[in-house]
Amino acid sequence: MARDPKYDVLFEPIQLGPKTLKNRFYQVPHCIGAGSEKPGMQAYHRGMKAEGGWGACCTEYCSIHPESDDTSRVSARIWDEGDVRNLAAMCDRLHEFGALAGIELWYGGPHAPCMESRATPRGPSQIASDFELNIFPRYMDQDDIDTVQQMYVDAAVRAREAGFDIIYVYGAHAYLPFQFLSPFYNRRTDKYGGSFENRARFWRESLYKVREAVGDDCAIASRFAVDHLLGPISIQVGEDGARFVEYCDDLVDLWDFTVGDIAEWGQNAGPSRFFEENHEKPYTGQLKAGNHTNKAVVGVGRITNPDTMVAIINSGQFDIIGAARPSISDPFLPQKIEEGRFDDIRECIGCNQCISRWEIGGPPMVCTQNATAGEEYRRGWHPEKFHPAANRDKGVLVVGAGPAGMECAMVLGKREMSAVHLVEGAREMGGSVNWISQMGHSDGKENLFRGSARGLGEWKRIVNYRQIQLDKLSNAEVHLGSRLSAEDVFNYGAEIVVVATGCHFATDGLNAATHEPIEGADATLDWQLTPDEVVGETKRVGKRVLILENEAYFMGVSVAQKLAGEGHEVTFVTQAAEIANYMDYTLEAPMLHRDLDRLGVDIHTYTMLEKIEPGVCHAYDVWNPAHKTQFEVDTVVLCTARISDDELYRELKADPDRLQQEGIEGLYIIGDAAAPRMIVDSIFDGHRLAREIDSPHPEMPLPFIRERRLWGDSTNDDYRAQLLNTVDVG
Amino acid sequence: MKIVVPVKQVAALDDEFELLDDGSDVDPDFVERDLNEWDAFSLEAALQLRESTGDGEVIVITIGDDEAEEALLGCLARGADRAVRIWDESLAGADPLAIARVLSAAVGRENADLVMCGVQSSDAVNGATGIALAGYLEMPHVAVIKQLDYDPASSTATVKRELEGGLVEVLRIRTPALLTIQTGINEPRYANLRAIKQAREKPLDVTTPDELGVDSGAIAAAAGSRRRELKHPERGEGAEMIDGSPAEVAARIVEIVRERMSG
Repeated sequence: MARDPKYDVLFEPIQLGPKTLKNRFYQVPHCIGAGSEKPGMQAYHRGMKAEGGWGACCTEYCSIHPESDDTSRVSARIWDEGDVRNLAAMCDRLHEFGALAGIELWYGGPHAPCMESRATPRGPSQIASDFELNIFPRYMDQDDIDTVQQMYVDAAVRAREAGFDIIYVYGAHAYLPFQFLSPFYNRRTDKYGGSFENRARFWRESLYKVREAVGDDCAIASRFAVDHLLGPISIQVGEDGARFVEYCDDLVDLWDFTVGDIAEWGQNAGPSRFFEENHEKPYTGQLKAGNHTNKAVVGVGRITNPDTMVAIINSGQFDIIGAARPSISDPFLPQKIEEGRFDDIRECIGCNQCISRWEIGGPPMVCTQNATAGEEYRRGWHPEKFHPAANRDKGVLVVGAGPAGMECAMVLGKREMSAVHLVEGAREMGGSVNWISQMGHSDGKENLFRGSARGLGEWKRIVNYRQIQLDKLSNAEVHLGSRLSAEDVFNYGAEIVVVATGCHFATDGLNAATHEPIEGADATLDWQLTPDEVVGETKRVGKRVLILENEAYFMGVSVAQKLAGEGHEVTFVTQAAEIANYMDYTLEAPMLHRDLDRLGVDIHTYTMLEKIEPGVCHAYDVWNPAHKTQFEVDTVVLCTARISDDELYRELKADPDRLQQEGIEGLYIIGDAAAPRMIVDSIFDGHRLAREIDSPHPEMPLPFIRERRLWGDSTNDDYRAQLLNTVDVG
Repeated sequence: MKIVVPVKQVAALDDEFELLDDGSDVDPDFVERDLNEWDAFSLEAALQLRESTGDGEVIVITIGDDEAEEALLGCLARGADRAVRIWDESLAGADPLAIARVLSAAVGRENADLVMCGVQSSDAVNGATGIALAGYLEMPHVAVIKQLDYDPASSTATVKRELEGGLVEVLRIRTPALLTIQTGINEPRYANLRAIKQAREKPLDVTTPDELGVDSGAIAAAAGSRRRELKHPERGEGAEMIDGSPAEVAARIVEIVRERMSG
């Protein structure tokens, strides 16, 4: 279908210094876990977006020198010729599709702990990092300043050699240039401290030197947090924020605006739980609208809606639509808008699983919506191309339409299996997503730092996307409200059976801390609940509620938000040090803490229950079990172990003769039914099986390419030839 | 007992579609074909009746070209015993009365105890074929049934219809009879893969109006109407599209309501 003229503005080229950006879709720098050391992943992940129509794609933050070493978190590095060579692979791949390649030159100061290089980071003043644990920088004298600025220049020259078109001097997220600019970090009294001009001097000089070195050949960009969100003690958009943009406007070809810092960068990469689309507009939208710049402006805000994009450009908020997460979730977003395929857009759900893996430090990026993200090179997976399965003459029955089952059925359908039946016992598709997406609300009062506890409603996009795709597949049928017995499955007539029947919460308090049930725990009683029962409002909840949290992710705290928001007195007990450890990785934790504090939730960490009685819970300190506490409560919520619903699979598997007699050649179990896990991993599991349904042993994942240095192997010229499964990606 | 279920393969439109140049119909490129939603319920009612009485036969009949066979195969997979497809190019674009006339010849030779039609088809929405068929067959009939109880001993059906205001009308009808079935009366079953494969082994007769003894003159005589043109409605005047953020849209709506209220 031809493009709707309404969206033409998104496809107009724009000049960035010596370079032309072919349209207004721009993948801003974001981490993927590739850096310079997994060149295949780097080239093929970014390249996939170029293939999907993005006008430019950038590296993640790219260290300019071993003094800026973020190990174990994975940054790119452009320290030497080897890095040039590895990052050139990304540039080449982007250029094949006519996209520009951007590199974000980074010096972290005290925010880079240098655990691999053992170097000493330098900083404007000797103040410990507010992000790292006890990392102090060395105070920079004039020689240090000259040295670090030369590092930027040398890195920029290497970047040009690698083939980069856009070169950043990265100052957002409170890295070194911003540390000079902000009085929160900068306590100097020389010409680099004090007045605005003095504080801006380091950044301006660095930009000037980089521009002098490569500005004729490359577009110069800067990423700038226009507001630190700390109030008058640091940069505010209406004060030094706008002033800085005006002051350095002559030195850049492109501004990339954000807010906040690395210590709480969830204010920038806002999770959907607290932030809506285009949430940075009140800050980043002021610069262009207020005529503070004459240069091109790119900005972000998890923008997935094409109409929002058009409004952003037409209203003069930004010139270019920036995206990190939406480009991961759908690398083909631009092409789908171009072709009017709006219902094929796989919208980011804002769960921040992608970010979590960077935060953990080391693992490759993942995406809940797009199971192929990060797998483009090592597994040869393409998000939009699915080659027909070698065994496509087979009929498939997928039992259970939760995240794993939906994904598996969809991919099997796209791989042209002769028939795919997705059969679900409930009346709607989605499994656990249907009730989980109702969580995350409290009382709806918008008095948090920014944003509000708007909940996990956008997670429902997991279901919507797959439902629409399945609906379009002529070889796929979805049957709801039909709970199959083993006998039904035997008689179904499918050659391949995939069991995706999910899991349930333990009702007896079985938990990861003690590996035992808890005395008196019994969620079959009317005053003890599992989390799904809280959402389903199937039992009356008393005034005083105790939540026992054992998952370390969103479940227990979401129950706390809901019940405290409804006016219950909530006591929150967990054996862990944190109330929801994984939400630190997803950047949801800071806002969550604010909400729970506001709601008056009584939190007890390092605490476990030993016995539950009507009206009272007996607890102990995990480091000193003799230290006991009692909580008088009316209702107990057991957010403890989850247990696979695998009876159907076990029953089928126990009768191999019957399987053979009925012509069932393959029987597989995926998702929570195999082992309870996060949604992102369930979807991956379903996708993986479907991608490899025609492999010799589909239950066993095929090996993936490991990008590692081979001992004694002096060359590695065939990195591209190593791409397995070149059918879809190649 | 023998139950005949006339079904239709309807046209389901894509979100966006185009008409043929001569305006006679929707461009088939933008159409997907599917079993009429109402017919899934009438088939299910027939299958349940056959199952509850313990014996009998369910015959599905349709008028349509060879593409319509998919709908019949779907019915056979769900449990119908055999199928009949009637086609002749002269039936292209036939109106409900002409369709009913041809169906009456096919249904008539079956000596059915019950004929169960869907209330209407989702594409043409005439709601006429079933009742017209009852007319040709000179059968007693009840339309728009929400509940059905059949008593084999007395060969009578007690049926419920829903009227305005939620009133329920209860009727008793002696078979043979024709009933038109409303959606929601039951929960249509689906066919598993084995049943889909086995459906291809079940009898599916293909015949023509001529073979049924209905010549083109009879069809023409039965026809009551002919489609002159299919067109998009003319764009209404006075619609104001409101652009902007949700807050801006809400503000504009408030403004409009205030204007109208004060006017």
